[in-house]
Amino acid sequence: MKKDKSLIKTITGSREASLVIVLIILIAVITVMSPSFLSPTNISQIFRNNALTMLMALGMLCVMLTAGIDISITSTLAFSGMIIGLMQKFDYLHNTFLLFVIGILIGTACGVLNGLIIAKGKVAPIICTMGAMYIWRGMAYVISNNAWASGADVAGFSDFGKEGSFGPYIILIIAYIAFFVVMKWTKFGRKIYAVGSNTEAARISGINVDKTIISVYAIMGLLAGLAGVLSVSIYASAQPNMQYAKEMDVIAACVIGGVSMNGGRGSVVGTFLGALIIAIIAKALPLVGISAIAQNLVKGVIILVVVVLNVITQRMMDKQALARREM
Amino acid sequence: MAGKSGRTISATPQGGIKEKIFSWEGALILLLIAVNIFGAVLSPNYNMTNILRESPRYLAEIFMLFGMAFILVLGDIDISVGSIVCLTATMGCLVSNKGMGVGAVILVCLGVGLLCGMLNGFVATKFTELPTMIITLGTQIIFRGIAEVALGDGGSASMTDIQSIGILRAKVGPVPLSFFIVIICAIIFITVLNKTTFGRKLYAIGSNRTTAYYTGIEVQRIRFFSFSMLGFLAGLCGLFLLASTYGANTTTGNGFEMEVIAMCVFGGIATTGGKGNIIGGFIAAFIIVCLRIAFGQINMNTQLILVIIGVMLIVSVLIPAVTNAINSRKKTKKA
Repeated sequence: MKKDKSLIKTITGSREASLVIVLIILIAVITVMSPSFLSPTNISQIFRNNALTMLMALGMLCVMLTAGIDISITSTLAFSGMIIGLMQKFDYLHNTFLLFVIGILIGTACGVLNGLIIAKGKVAPIICTMGAMYIWRGMAYVISNNAWASGADVAGFSDFGKEGSFGPYIILIIAYIAFFVVMKWTKFGRKIYAVGSNTEAARISGINVDKTIISVYAIMGLLAGLAGVLSVSIYASAQPNMQYAKEMDVIAACVIGGVSMNGGRGSVVGTFLGALIIAIIAKALPLVGISAIAQNLVKGVIILVVVVLNVITQRMMDKQALARREM
Repeated sequence: MAGKSGRTISATPQGGIKEKIFSWEGALILLLIAVNIFGAVLSPNYNMTNILRESPRYLAEIFMLFGMAFILVLGDIDISVGSIVCLTATMGCLVSNKGMGVGAVILVCLGVGLLCGMLNGFVATKFTELPTMIITLGTQIIFRGIAEVALGDGGSASMTDIQSIGILRAKVGPVPLSFFIVIICAIIFITVLNKTTFGRKLYAIGSNRTTAYYTGIEVQRIRFFSFSMLGFLAGLCGLFLLASTYGANTTTGNGFEMEVIAMCVFGGIATTGGKGNIIGGFIAAFIIVCLRIAFGQINMNTQLILVIIGVMLIVSVLIPAVTNAINSRKKTKKA
């Protein structure tokens, strides 16, 4: 009896556990309505089509843990991806590895710039990254002169991310394992949580807050740059408007995964589950007979319902805790 | 003028000419003049008639500036306005295609906008624990989602009856109707924010919500009203956008929310709340509009404007931080 109660408690108390249950129910319902859903092709497609969101959600997790936000990521993605695309278009470079390094470096530079302005200039994260959003998106248009880098231009490079290649999956797996370890068991990961939960306390206890914030945005930039290169590879083209306005999907994945916007709360597992839920819904709607057009509507309703339910359960828990104390 | 204690209470009455020029708004006006000179030098077609002719598609965005200024002063944010514009334009277009008159279109656009704003306001005031950024992120996707469903497979709709909505494109001489609405809105909203108790309550809530609550300000009611107001203005924007583009598609209003917030911030309104003035945002809006028109006329890469807006945005928020740092360094040196 007692054991039973504690099980229920872990489920209702832990965000990850409740997300897993939601996920299982979701998958069960979809599989009943469309048995082909759990086929290997479908599953690999889900991960391939959402690799960029899933990758960037990790960086957004770090940023949101410090009570910040970064809405410039898809612009950074477009900028680094566009440079990669142009380098191949004009035959400067065709080495896949070097292209990856360059893309990542560009992204990291953009991220460090954000971090410096936010940490040293004391600018609100949303404003700074909004400015960066305009700058890098604009730069992507300017350097490419509104033109694309087509599939033929990036022919050899796109082998890395083409259908059937394991490249994107390997990057995703490595990234998630690395972040899981870093956020849970290293000094740096715990510093990020400390800065997010109470900046002043973190500062007094000797954490270099500015440095932590700068590195968090640098990581976000790094992942956005990587996502840019990956995007060119997966979709076999580079255009200046790629992934436009998709930063909201990344934020939504984090929010569904239980990352708090006030900082200090959230986990890698939760982020993964949040991103997965969004990905599965997008994939499953046509399968269960809801037109793909309604995809955004369903997604938005889910986000709103999830955050509101979160508040309601929190209130109930607070009330219960209070009642217990009064007894 | 700072005294020994570091407080900046000056003995001379405020509002001297020198102060006016060196204030943020003064700097913005100088920048606006500079932009206009820049436009006139670069493009032979940059004159009042052409500006007024090209302005309507930009003016509609400025409607939302006033509502957004209220929201930002409150310390909130609303990133759903672009989607509200999309939804209202879509609904207006569909209603018009059903054969209803221009009155119904106007009513539907404004009504839908108001309803969307009220939904934002309702969630924001009932669940105060939630950051408004998250709420409006959700509703942003929902509103555009509804528009996408309403538009159906093609993802766009165009008006069959473009005659009746023509009254919204009416002009007094060369001046378009939307320009007058912008001016009227500016007068009303600036007066309300600066000269009425309601306006001062907004600042009070923005500087410290808890204190404002304990002083008896009806915080949640004012927030609800402000969100509804912004929704209404977004509806107005959608209506005028519909009147100038004769249709709507799933990307209508994409990125408007960020542009409007950028105008406000560039104009000196802090996103942390309690600081700033609509006049600044108003001038900033015209700087951006004039830049756009000038760039469009000389066939410069129009996307370069994005880079310029971004740089201006970051520089404008960095200036106060940098001057503060320099001032405090000077002070410590003196000590």
